Amino acid sequence: MSIVLVGVNHKTAPIEVRELLAFSDEACATGLRQLVDGEVVREGLIVSTCNRVEILSATAPDQLEHGTARIAEFLDNDRRLPADFLGQHIYSHRDEEAVRHLFRVASSLDSMVVGEPQVLGQVRHAYSVALQAGTAGRILNRLVHHTFRVAKRVRTETGIAANAVSISYMAVELGKKIFDSLKNHTVLLIGAGEMAELSARHLLNAGVSRILVANRTADAAQKLASEFGGASVPFDEIVTALSEADVVLCSTASPTFVITEELTRRAFEKRRNHPICMIDISVPRNIDPNVGKVPNVFVFDIDDLESVISSNIREREREAERAELIVQSEVMQFQQSLRLMDMGPTIGALREKFQEMARTELQRQRRQLGELSKEQEAAIEQLLISTVNKISHPVLNQMRRFYEASDPENIQEPSESSDPEE
Amino acid sequence: MKSLLLAALAAYLIAAIHSILAFVNKRRSVQRVAEWSIAVGFILHTCALIFDWAIDGHYPLFFLRETLSFLAWALVGAYAIILYRYRAEALGAFTMPLISILTFIALIVRSGPQDTAAAFSTTWLFPIHTTLLIFAYAAFFIVFMASVMYLLQERELKLKTFGAIFHRLPSLSTVNQLATTSAIFGLTLLTLGIASGMVWSSARDGRIWHNDPKEIFALLTWLLYFLLLIYRSSANWRGRNAAWLGVAGFALVLCTFFGTRLLGGYHVFGLARSPTFLSTSLGKR
Repeated sequence: MSIVLVGVNHKTAPIEVRELLAFSDEACATGLRQLVDGEVVREGLIVSTCNRVEILSATAPDQLEHGTARIAEFLDNDRRLPADFLGQHIYSHRDEEAVRHLFRVASSLDSMVVGEPQVLGQVRHAYSVALQAGTAGRILNRLVHHTFRVAKRVRTETGIAANAVSISYMAVELGKKIFDSLKNHTVLLIGAGEMAELSARHLLNAGVSRILVANRTADAAQKLASEFGGASVPFDEIVTALSEADVVLCSTASPTFVITEELTRRAFEKRRNHPICMIDISVPRNIDPNVGKVPNVFVFDIDDLESVISSNIREREREAERAELIVQSEVMQFQQSLRLMDMGPTIGALREKFQEMARTELQRQRRQLGELSKEQEAAIEQLLISTVNKISHPVLNQMRRFYEASDPENIQEPSESSDPEE
Repeated sequence: MKSLLLAALAAYLIAAIHSILAFVNKRRSVQRVAEWSIAVGFILHTCALIFDWAIDGHYPLFFLRETLSFLAWALVGAYAIILYRYRAEALGAFTMPLISILTFIALIVRSGPQDTAAAFSTTWLFPIHTTLLIFAYAAFFIVFMASVMYLLQERELKLKTFGAIFHRLPSLSTVNQLATTSAIFGLTLLTLGIASGMVWSSARDGRIWHNDPKEIFALLTWLLYFLLLIYRSSANWRGRNAAWLGVAGFALVLCTFFGTRLLGGYHVFGLARSPTFLSTSLGKR
């Protein structure tokens, strides 16, 4: 069996093309049933996300060319696209290359943001759709299970997903660099916009115990505060709130500074040098940059956050190089196990073959044995066959054990991992 | 037991290399190798100290060789506790090479005549005095390292450079807490060490204070860390200033440790008697 992968992704095709190709779950199932004919294309699976549409299939090896063409054709026909429309956007990989591509996709090495965790869930979903459609067979089962294992290895053995790459998560990351853990710390949100809400969610997930909200319009503050079980603070009492908060997140549309150096120094009379982390995601800025001169105050504006993010992306890319090595060695392993898999039916056939050889030998030497009764003849045949079986048994058993060790039934599916980020 | 100490040194070197590698590439598997090597090295080192004690017949903390070896051993112990309690792995990249160097010097320096040491093993107060102080030095070294890490990380956050240090050093609150806890331990040990020294000295010649450079430096060190802790607890004084004090304090600790070697005084034992002056007088504390 050969593995073929045909598709487009965010690197090869613009959004206009990808949206034409995107499959809904139902379209996936019906499409797969059409595509998999049991002759040329034996098994199939469609991964369709906003960044990629890929068709993975197991094809008869002697009809590889035919199979690849058929899949490309299927994409054209199914979507009623003009001829040659996909030509420049589409890529196709075979065998080792296809396996490597799938491993890289699931490990999020092929993603727009390297290390983002969603793509693994999307592959998992695509697999369950294919299972329901009945188009995932022996080969794809094994391949997909192996893929989950690779993705898990990449996540645990490299720091590919270790550092935050979204603005809303930055408050958590920077807070942790100052306070280690955000458990039992207080957060003050100034401004009740969408970004404030998203960041607050991340902070709550990180264990923040108390959320204070200050906003020009008290209603919006009240609403956001009640949503997170926090308290709203009148806008003119920010000093008091500042003396209690550990992380401050500023996102108002105010044209002037909301937090000034003087205000901060006043708050610090009560704080007794307890450090504070202030994050300003508003433009124009709401926190006077001079506030950063106060000891134990750490102020970050939107540009600073962007620079942490780009530094984190560089860290992720360094880790991605290590991940590629893992993928490489796993591709080898998979190819190996695929070769072993072809052995499965062979083991049964070998046993038959040995017995067949015993019978042929008996036929050849039959005349030399002279007159024999039916019982005697049966006894001789029985003797030969049981001898052959006894001799071949340990060898075949060894082979079978080897085969079973690489069977997908024995491979644990990775557990669903939840990630607070993105 | 030179061979045991040599084996311990080998383990420490492996740990040092892996700690540095783990610091650079942040591999958990590499860090694990470092931690196992530390455990093995510590056990070997402990055995070496016990055998030394049994074979030489005196508490293995008299000559320079023994002092350095004991100090290295105390530092390994301190780092192991910190790893367990704070997971401050970054510390190992700096501490393990230093421990390896101390152990290496301990291996190549010769001991003085055994009889000088024997004279001091008659009383149990002398070993207690020296042991307490070695542990105090180890604790102050941790304060120093934590303060340096604090200053580096704080600088990174204030200047917003977000380089390698930002990603690798522990959080400000971790190093701050580490420095405070170590300072408390260090000061307690130093207090007990000085007190035991006074008791021992008064038993020897009736005087508890000799105005000797080592004693003066020890007193200054004690005052400085006492101030540091008073400030930290009463005025909640933390951050850069406290960290700078932790660094300055260690300069005083070094003066205390080496003070005798440079300035002489009461704490120099057996200097006139011994021809191998370097190896013996430097060993006195």
